[in-house]
Amino acid sequence: MIKVALAGQPNCGKSTIFNMVSGIKQHIANYPGVTVDKKVGRFSYEGHKIEMVDLPGTYSFSSYSLEERVAKDYIIGEKPDLIVNVVDASNIKRHLYLTFQLLEIGIPVVIVLNMMDVAERRGIEIDIEKISKMLGCIVVSASGAKNIGSKEIMEAIVKTKNSTQNYEDFRINYEELEPHIQAIEESIKDSDESLNKRWFAIKVLEGDQAIIDRVKANTSNIEELAREQEHIFHDRFDKDIPAFLATFRYDSSDIIYHKVVKETKKGVLTTTDFIDRIVLNRWLAMPILFFIMFLVYQLSIVYGYKITDYTWPILAAFKNLVIDITPKPDFLDVPMITDLAIWMVNSGNALINYIPIFFILFALIAIMEDVGYMPRMAFILDRIFKKFGLHGQSTLPLVLGGAVVGGCAVPGVMATKGIADDRARMATILTVPYMNCLAKVPFYTLLLGAFFPTEMTLMMFYISTATVFTALIVAKILTSTVLKTRETAPFVMELPPYHAPTFKGVIIKAFQRVWVYIYKVITIVMVVALILFAMLQFPGISDESKAKYEAQGAKALETFAKKSKKSKYYEMVDTKEEVSVLLNYYDGYRSNRMTASGEKGAKAVDDKYIAKNESFFKFVKPRGNKEAKIINRSLRKLSKDRKRILRNMKNEKVENSLLGMAGRSIEPISKYAGFDWKINVAFLSSFAARESAVATLGSLYENNQADSQRAEEAMAQNSGYTPLHAVSIIIFMLLTPPCIATMIVVKMQTHSYGWMMFATFFPIFLGIIVSAGLFTLGNMYGWSGIDAMTYFYFTAVGIVLVLGLFPAKFTNWKGGLSRNPK
Amino acid sequence: MRLDSVSEGQKCRIKKIHITGKLMHKLLDMGFINGAVIEVVRKAPLYDPMELKIHNYLITLRKSEAASLEVDLV
Repeated sequence: MIKVALAGQPNCGKSTIFNMVSGIKQHIANYPGVTVDKKVGRFSYEGHKIEMVDLPGTYSFSSYSLEERVAKDYIIGEKPDLIVNVVDASNIKRHLYLTFQLLEIGIPVVIVLNMMDVAERRGIEIDIEKISKMLGCIVVSASGAKNIGSKEIMEAIVKTKNSTQNYEDFRINYEELEPHIQAIEESIKDSDESLNKRWFAIKVLEGDQAIIDRVKANTSNIEELAREQEHIFHDRFDKDIPAFLATFRYDSSDIIYHKVVKETKKGVLTTTDFIDRIVLNRWLAMPILFFIMFLVYQLSIVYGYKITDYTWPILAAFKNLVIDITPKPDFLDVPMITDLAIWMVNSGNALINYIPIFFILFALIAIMEDVGYMPRMAFILDRIFKKFGLHGQSTLPLVLGGAVVGGCAVPGVMATKGIADDRARMATILTVPYMNCLAKVPFYTLLLGAFFPTEMTLMMFYISTATVFTALIVAKILTSTVLKTRETAPFVMELPPYHAPTFKGVIIKAFQRVWVYIYKVITIVMVVALILFAMLQFPGISDESKAKYEAQGAKALETFAKKSKKSKYYEMVDTKEEVSVLLNYYDGYRSNRMTASGEKGAKAVDDKYIAKNESFFKFVKPRGNKEAKIINRSLRKLSKDRKRILRNMKNEKVENSLLGMAGRSIEPISKYAGFDWKINVAFLSSFAARESAVATLGSLYENNQADSQRAEEAMAQNSGYTPLHAVSIIIFMLLTPPCIATMIVVKMQTHSYGWMMFATFFPIFLGIIVSAGLFTLGNMYGWSGIDAMTYFYFTAVGIVLVLGLFPAKFTNWKGGLSRNPK
Repeated sequence: MRLDSVSEGQKCRIKKIHITGKLMHKLLDMGFINGAVIEVVRKAPLYDPMELKIHNYLITLRKSEAASLEVDLV
């Protein structure tokens, strides 16, 4: 097998080349210990098996960024047979800077001149033969976007591999630095390193920490030796070695550029220049950016949500299927396996339901990445974000998280991957969960409907904009405290030329990211859902209560019997077993009908139930049959009664459960914010998925007598809360922890359970402090709910303004040659 | 003069880099070497960062970082 490493600078079109050569047979993993994606493609050419590893795109081959370290570790550790270096043909000079560093490693290189079509269009002519001769390697011209050059690349790989015996180490004559390189090389010549020692010597002199650490194993005094040489060099030529090497390499690229490239359209405005004049225009830039954000939001969240109208019935049908195949409840006795199955399906469905939204979202992000708009967005907004310790590149994650109207923290946190500045990236990961999660909206609606029916619009405005302000404050707090020592990167960012995205590239990216969501997030949520289920089940209700509910059940059955006796069909349902079976039949039919769409669907459900039990069918759909109608009516009442009793049982079970106990045990603290144990339980259960908070609260406050009462009314009347309580709850919800799915992606992106825990508990801590403070003050001064919310809102706005206008003296970098803190 | 005070549309040549460590390495890798010609293409809508053209490609720098580059106008 031929092992190939694919290297290239960012924006050279490396991934289009990778997709073109390896097709869709790709395997994604992470490089050990880091969040950098490792894509591996396997293919064969004329009987040769080839394994290609896509190295992260880097401008250089030193060890100053995570990507560079990862790429170098791979080369040293895996020793590939050859390196395929992708070069942007329209910008040869800068890209050859990396090429020279790759050539020095001592592994044969194949150069792929990508985007030849773009170069041609720009009037750039390249003498490929000449580069090949000058650099002593095969040069292939290609265009990944146009699917040109795949075969030639494979051919070059095989050819280079087969002529390894003719390969001679590539060396640059560094003139005045040569004696120093040789001195270092001499001192490490006894090490058992199989890679090129000259390359190691150069890297040591360059101050490459990864290589120095490696060499140290054999030559412990290497650092002193290197420093010594550095001093001599500096004294003699008044130059620093890194600057000297960089200049030397750029000069070398310049020589090639001048010898092989002819530009016929120099000075003519490129398409990129033209688009930038509009997109980055001082007055148009912001409106265009907001328009694009709005469009992304509209297409993914709004339209994606509409698609779920079509996909939801599929999930609901799946749920019905599960209900159909699990053991049936015997009146009040619901088997735990049935309960569990329904709970798991509900938890899973809640997340799977978001897949259409995520797919659209990920595809749009991929398009923006491929087009080259992302760095421009960062360029436009960086000044604002910088003030709060964030980065221009934080824009997109925050928008996806719900900064505009509502979103989801999962894709938001996932989109932080590209942020170069580690401190800002961490701050973004930790603040995205404060954004307005879509699943929180029903929760707000419930509370606002119950306590602020007339001020709903104002409150909703406060809620949706307060999130952005709190996130900025939190970001500032975190970056000047816990994240203070994190590595930061200077804002040195390329604005690549605009490119039309390829359909294949976008779809592959979107699929890969959705897949990550499915197998990482959903699987773990299922485990947590299982644990929560257990915590809600045990220890269960007391025998006393059980007897009470059984009595209620018996009474309901009695009523049913009394009413049904008038019907001539009574003998069909005169035992408890029969009634129980009929009741399940009735409930099953109703829920199947509810999810069936159109006449055809309804007919199918009818047929299914007729086939199941023809004699029962008249009770669920009596049509003109008066005798059956009697049963039908009392059946409806019985079904309602049973649901009510089951709900009460469930509530009592929740109250007594481990989770309920947990809710009670934190009541002494939470009471300062006005939360009783019911609210606590709702918050605890909302970990699994936010949606369940509403369901839990709704069922806890449901009025037992009047079934027709809406949850809002029930809550307003039965909870004993004031609007001030509601505000306290809302503010806690604004700040509270991410759901499990978000916590998992936080873990994935930060690569640390510690940060995941921090991301969970810091918001709880903050939330309880702010809510309790506001609640206590509100009680002291007799604020109304709306007063309290207004004070909270304007305090947040005030803090943001003070922080924003206060001149930020941030050093955006620190120390040289610093090692990775991880 | 320092790069951050060069106005839009002007070109300049790098004279000296007044910085060490990571940022210096990054700038060197991106082609900010002595003698390289930089054109200030534009400044961001909020006047910071700035967009530059160097070695025929586009790059952005914050003004705080651009201040570490000593340049001569050409």
